[in-house]
Amino acid sequence: MSTLRQLRKLVLGETWSLPLGVALALGAAGIYRLIDGDDSWWTHAGGFVLLGLVALALTASLAGALRARRR
Amino acid sequence: MAFVLTLIGAMLACGLEMLEALAIVLAVGITRRFRDSLIGAAGAALALALLALVLGPVLIARVPLDSLRIVIGAFLLLFGLEWLRKGVLRLAHLRSPSSSFKEFVEEQEELEGLALPAPGAPDWAGRTIAFKGVLLEGVEVILIVTALGARPGGLAPALIGAGSALVAVIAVGLVLHAPLARLPETHLKYVVGIVLSSFGVFFAAEGLGVSWPGSDAALLYLAAAFLLISQLQVHVLIREQAAVAAA
Repeated sequence: MSTLRQLRKLVLGETWSLPLGVALALGAAGIYRLIDGDDSWWTHAGGFVLLGLVALALTASLAGALRARRR
Repeated sequence: MAFVLTLIGAMLACGLEMLEALAIVLAVGITRRFRDSLIGAAGAALALALLALVLGPVLIARVPLDSLRIVIGAFLLLFGLEWLRKGVLRLAHLRSPSSSFKEFVEEQEELEGLALPAPGAPDWAGRTIAFKGVLLEGVEVILIVTALGARPGGLAPALIGAGSALVAVIAVGLVLHAPLARLPETHLKYVVGIVLSSFGVFFAAEGLGVSWPGSDAALLYLAAAFLLISQLQVHVLIREQAAVAAA
């Protein structure tokens, strides 16, 4: 395995689903914040929304691992 | 609260990465020559120190605080969730347990096939393997310490944690490889995954304008939430496996 490939694995991990999920979660939260500005709802509850999105990303990557194992 | 959690997070994460680097350095040293193995490791440590000197100040001086929090959060989430994903798979018996000792043995077996140069001549193969191993594991240590230390007040606990881990790992190295086999690495890495993921969500949300109820104490309920979510996933995976096996 090349050094660059190992570096990518170290930073982004073994799967693409997790970094993609993190990017989507942060992207969605960032877009909502841009559209709504300093919304008080987001200020108090936005963290829990982000937690939920991140948990979904983790669940999706685990489901992928399980599917790959079944094949 | 944040000081203690940053210290524990940095100590555990850096300690486990350094253990993996130690496994490679020991394997090269025992199979070939300790002098060349240590030269390779020292070269990598120098390269990592330069990287840390460049990365930390550039991030802190050039990136606005909110953007910096999002960047830090993203990095910590990438590391934390990957460790958590592997931890869940290991606890659900879908992946072999983490073991630096096993890596040490595998590395040693690979190296046994390579011929040693004449006495006195530099062993470039051994030096390169030790350099590459320490560099790759060290990059993750640098990124984690930089991410945890870039937060206001975070540098001291991150550096103390990383320093303590370094001392502990060197102590393990001095008493040779036997303790490597006894470490509960799977569970330690799972805990690190929870801690880093909690920090990741905490920082990223702060960067996105969130004010956490309870301020720094939010790290505790975030860690509890990740523990709960991941344990649920472990149970679901075990049940699904049992259902597949029964079918």
